[in-house]
Amino acid sequence: MKVFNYSFQTVFKSLWLEKWINLLTILSISIGLSLVTTFIMMSLNMESVLQRWAKNFGMVVYLTETISQEEEDSLKNQLAEDIDIIEVKYISKDTALEELRKTLGANTLIFEGLNENPLPSSFELKLKSDLLSPEIIINKAAKIEKMSGVEEVQYGEKWLSSLYTISKTMKTGSIVIGGAVFIAITFITYSTIKIFFYRRKEEIETLKLLGATRSFIRMPFLLEGLIIGLLGGIISSLAIFSIYSFTSLKVIEFLPSVKLFMTSIPFEIYIAVPLAGTLVSVIGSIIAVGKIRY
Amino acid sequence: MIEFSNVTKYYDKDVVLKDVTFSIEKGELAYITGPSGAGKTTLLKLIYCAEVPDKGQLVVAGSDVNKIKQKEIPYLRRKVGIVFQDFRLLFNKTVYENVALALRIHYMPSKEIKDDVTAVLKEVQLSHKANIYPQHLSGGEQQRVVIARAMVSKPTVLLADEPTGNLDADTSKTIINLFREINARGTTVLIATHNHDLFHGTGRRVFFLKDNQIEKETIG
Repeated sequence: MKVFNYSFQTVFKSLWLEKWINLLTILSISIGLSLVTTFIMMSLNMESVLQRWAKNFGMVVYLTETISQEEEDSLKNQLAEDIDIIEVKYISKDTALEELRKTLGANTLIFEGLNENPLPSSFELKLKSDLLSPEIIINKAAKIEKMSGVEEVQYGEKWLSSLYTISKTMKTGSIVIGGAVFIAITFITYSTIKIFFYRRKEEIETLKLLGATRSFIRMPFLLEGLIIGLLGGIISSLAIFSIYSFTSLKVIEFLPSVKLFMTSIPFEIYIAVPLAGTLVSVIGSIIAVGKIRY
Repeated sequence: MIEFSNVTKYYDKDVVLKDVTFSIEKGELAYITGPSGAGKTTLLKLIYCAEVPDKGQLVVAGSDVNKIKQKEIPYLRRKVGIVFQDFRLLFNKTVYENVALALRIHYMPSKEIKDDVTAVLKEVQLSHKANIYPQHLSGGEQQRVVIARAMVSKPTVLLADEPTGNLDADTSKTIINLFREINARGTTVLIATHNHDLFHGTGRRVFFLKDNQIEKETIG
């Protein structure tokens, strides 16, 4: 604890004396961290949309006109045995026509004059939600399509593909932006601490000659980097909370349906952002102080 | 306490000290003299490990300087108080803080630091200037602050590099008397000076450096 006494005194003095450069560094860190968090939140919301969609995601397996009852039963059994399929629902030709009539309501006139039901019978399948990558779905559909008695398999392939691409881009974007911001924060803290280090060079030389250990010399700089990063992170967390809450309210006001999938900021983010700011700033400070030689 | 055995030091290809052999006993007060550029400062730097001998062996307070590791240097320096030619006082700290710095590096509690610094400032007669910044002190007073800082941690060896270089005769006398008092308490003192008046008639050993070598050893 004794090692911190002198260091804290030195740091608080430095924080006050160099308040403008410190403030600028803290703000830069908080802006950088907020940018990363914004991307993470966009990514989480996209994931939420995907998850919500995934719950209702299904495939429709249309059967051939000539399919026999035996083949139909056999196909149903095969689909039910598939561990990736959680529900198999049979829709007969008549049920399909009935549902279409209900859907069209007043426009059922178009069916007049039809001698036979043109709709095929089908199976509606519900898949496990964790299977929702386009590759897996495409493979699954292709496999079912090859089964005997199957005419065609339909699913929202374009939607799935687009949503999945957007979600993936968001995730990649978060990682790339996160990496870039962390490098930037490291550099910002590095520059700030390096300036302080040079300004105190004479004092450091004297300390070395008096017999100060490396940790005694380093500690104030690392603590200053830690405090700068932590404050930057806390400000960022507060800013994210305020801006996100305000923006969500406004968006929901105009588009109430957005509320269904809009996620709130996970509590972990409020902890992770200051921690990340602290960690990256300390790394920047360690690099800035470098190796102390006597 | 300090033992030079055939120590040679080069700066690039220029020899600064050549085959220097001498020793200072525990509790002794001795002088190193010689013209400017003779190697006095380098010799002191070797003792406090700011330089490493290129040849020969140097032992300071039981530590072999040739073999000392970087991380061990601060602990050796704590045994060696240094009075620098250029004072090396920190002008953004008060006299009290400058002296206290030598104890803060030992992680000493504030109460003990206060007691020790107050006592040492009284000894160098600067108690009344404890809260003054060094730039508001005279050269002699600044030198006394440096001595206070060097002695506050009770080192076993005290080195002084031209301690009276910029001082008038009376102030020089006061400073030298301080060194004698420190030595009388058992601290080994080695003073590097080009001023022969400082050691003349003292009865102490004097080592003469000339052409980067110990030319002779006499009694002052």
